[in-house]
Amino acid sequence: MREVHLKILQYVSAVGIFFFVGIHLLVSHFSSGSPTSWASVVSRATSSGWFAIYIFILVFGFYHTLNGLRTIILEFSLSQRAIKVLDWTLVLGGLAVFGYAIYIPVQGF
Amino acid sequence: MEKVTYRVQRYDPDKDKKPRIQEFVIPFRHGMTVLDGLIYIKENVDNTLCFRSSCRMGICGSCGMFINNLPRLACHTPIEELKKDTITVKSLPNFPVVRDLVCDLTSLFAKHKSVKPYIIEPDMTEIEKPTGEFLQAQAQLEEFVQFAYCIKCGLCMAACPTLATDRHFLGPQPLTQAYRYSADRRDCGAKERFKMTDTPHGIWLCHLAGACSEVCPKGVDPAFGQQLLKRAMFSDSLRLRKKPVPPSVAKPPAEKKPRVAVPEFTIKKPNTKS
Ligand code: SF4
Ligand code: FES
Repeated sequence: MREVHLKILQYVSAVGIFFFVGIHLLVSHFSSGSPTSWASVVSRATSSGWFAIYIFILVFGFYHTLNGLRTIILEFSLSQRAIKVLDWTLVLGGLAVFGYAIYIPVQGF
Repeated sequence: MEKVTYRVQRYDPDKDKKPRIQEFVIPFRHGMTVLDGLIYIKENVDNTLCFRSSCRMGICGSCGMFINNLPRLACHTPIEELKKDTITVKSLPNFPVVRDLVCDLTSLFAKHKSVKPYIIEPDMTEIEKPTGEFLQAQAQLEEFVQFAYCIKCGLCMAACPTLATDRHFLGPQPLTQAYRYSADRRDCGAKERFKMTDTPHGIWLCHLAGACSEVCPKGVDPAFGQQLLKRAMFSDSLRLRKKPVPPSVAKPPAEKKPRVAVPEFTIKKPNTKS
């Protein structure tokens, strides 16, 4: 993948995070009832709409964080080889943590 | 102010482990530039002082130095403008020092060369054996002309905080020149240049600190040039950029202007025969 595509995805994921986290905050804080009550947590966890929103937040959040981290680390004059190692560490590490993170919404659903 | 104190970086690779500072107190005169002071020191106090300069008028870009903690052209910096009677002069940061105030600009020129800073044509015959001039409208020239004022002094590279941490980063000067040539309507080589700038140490490491534009003595505004390059590369990758069309060539006029007659000598040549 070219660097420009990674950058485009970085911006897309930023907009995605803003949009989906925005929905999450707006709905949970301005809808009637307490967002942290047992009933509302269970109803969100079993709704397919909320399930999709949580997955999107996770996907965008993971991509945005890991690619941001990569950009910071790249500034340490890394060699081509070191960049390859960094890329694979972030991809594999990211996938592993993502798999663990997705477990909770999947379980609830 | 009658005297001015110069604190000058000295470094002799054969003797010194690291650069040191030497002080010189020299007479001040109105309108004097930092370079004038250095020339005074070299001519009257210590002729072993090394620095680079040539045109003394902000054109050649060879007198870039770190003056009172900012990269500046020594010939373009009047002492009065610094508003201090002590001037600290060092070699440019982000470049290895060769001797005293002379730094090694090899990396700047190598990076500059890597972005192909010249007009690229699908058919290079017209470039190699020109039959006329490429046509270019005034408005087309204005799209990039400010970036063509670059004198390759390296001040922007010395000011760049990203280059300070990542020596592989292409840097503001080469990236701005990559944009300058890609924006030129006579050029068809943007794709080749984008390949060079779309690397892990390429354009995307520019965080728009803006330090390059602050110090540029020619008003090039490299930070802006880099933003425009990012936009051009975005549109190119999303296939929104127009395909470049090879420029047309203005054929030379069929009728040549008559040559202006050379005036006669006003002084008679001495008769060499006798
Ligand atoms: S962009 Fe400005 S500061 Fe940078 S090399 Fe060119 S003239 Fe010098
Ligand atoms: S001596 Fe040429 S720019 Fe200063």
